[in-house]
Amino acid sequence: MSCPFDSREETLLAYSSGELDRAQAAVVAAHLETCSECKSFVTAQKSVWSALDLFEAPAVSMDFDRRLYRRIEEQVSWWDMVVRPFRVALVRRALPIAAAAALTITAGILIERTGAGPAPVAHPQTAHVELQPDQLQSALDDLETLQQFTHALHTESDSQM
Amino acid sequence: MEERVKNGMGGAAAALDLDAELMLRVKEGDGASFGVLLNKHRASVVRFLYRMVQNHAVAEELAQEVFLRMYRSRGTYEPTAKFTTWLFRIATHLALNSLRDGKNEKLQERLDDDSGDLPVRQVSDNRPTIEARMVYEARLDEVRRAIASLPEKQRAAVLMHKYEEMEYSQIARVLNCSESAIKSLLFRAYETLRARLAHMA
Repeated sequence: MSCPFDSREETLLAYSSGELDRAQAAVVAAHLETCSECKSFVTAQKSVWSALDLFEAPAVSMDFDRRLYRRIEEQVSWWDMVVRPFRVALVRRALPIAAAAALTITAGILIERTGAGPAPVAHPQTAHVELQPDQLQSALDDLETLQQFTHALHTESDSQM
Repeated sequence: MEERVKNGMGGAAAALDLDAELMLRVKEGDGASFGVLLNKHRASVVRFLYRMVQNHAVAEELAQEVFLRMYRSRGTYEPTAKFTTWLFRIATHLALNSLRDGKNEKLQERLDDDSGDLPVRQVSDNRPTIEARMVYEARLDEVRRAIASLPEKQRAAVLMHKYEEMEYSQIARVLNCSESAIKSLLFRAYETLRARLAHMA
């Protein structure tokens, strides 16, 4: 007897695992009444599903997370060891840029607080230090890196206490 | 952030991938979101790897590496696929490498190494009798060998289909092949398993 299903194996697999909706399952069940080949397939596949259910996995170890976080921390410490020789140079480079960025922000706040109005005449003491967008981005990237190094330093000193 | 997820993946279904949203938060430095993802997926990743390599210690070691890589790549993460697709792609890659590296190790050695970790299946509410346990262990051994006999990609596909209940399309994305190729792979795998396990009715 020819099977009515377009994707026979896919349909029978789904039927044998109970994935078909009621209407689809009824169609397959009716077919199985008259097709010994499909019936054998389904019987065998149901046995496979039951057998595979035996293969349970052990529970995850209680210290799984602790070991994982330790490995993550070790990665940060390793990175710190690699860049440690360059830290002073990086700090020296980063500090002026950080200072420039801070100056920009401070100047911006001061200008904002003097109120809206015509653009003030530039005064040397409140001169707006203008950074190009890419320079500012670079400064912010360096600030972030410096913060990460500082955090790693604190983490290391805390762990040594 | 939701808009970014939608645009990155496309489709209404993608917008519901809260795991991808959490991973984007990890990208932005939110460590707590990493913890949430770990809590949610730890068990399934370990289970999958355990059934792939059939050694609990190795499975946990590989699972640690999965989450470590997940953490390490947070800076460049883009939600171009469902989060679990990405996660299981990493896990499958590591499992396949592990299996290839341990090719010379005899299957029996792996099964013996792991025999102490077998979960005990209770028979009714009473402690299992010795005979029942022996029958159970013999059947389990047969199932493990049947799965281990599958070529690695077929094995991965069966484990994702049967135990993680992934759809063909997702398995295809994990294994980086077409849906029709995955169906063909799975049907061959189940044919092998029917030949080996159908008598265990």
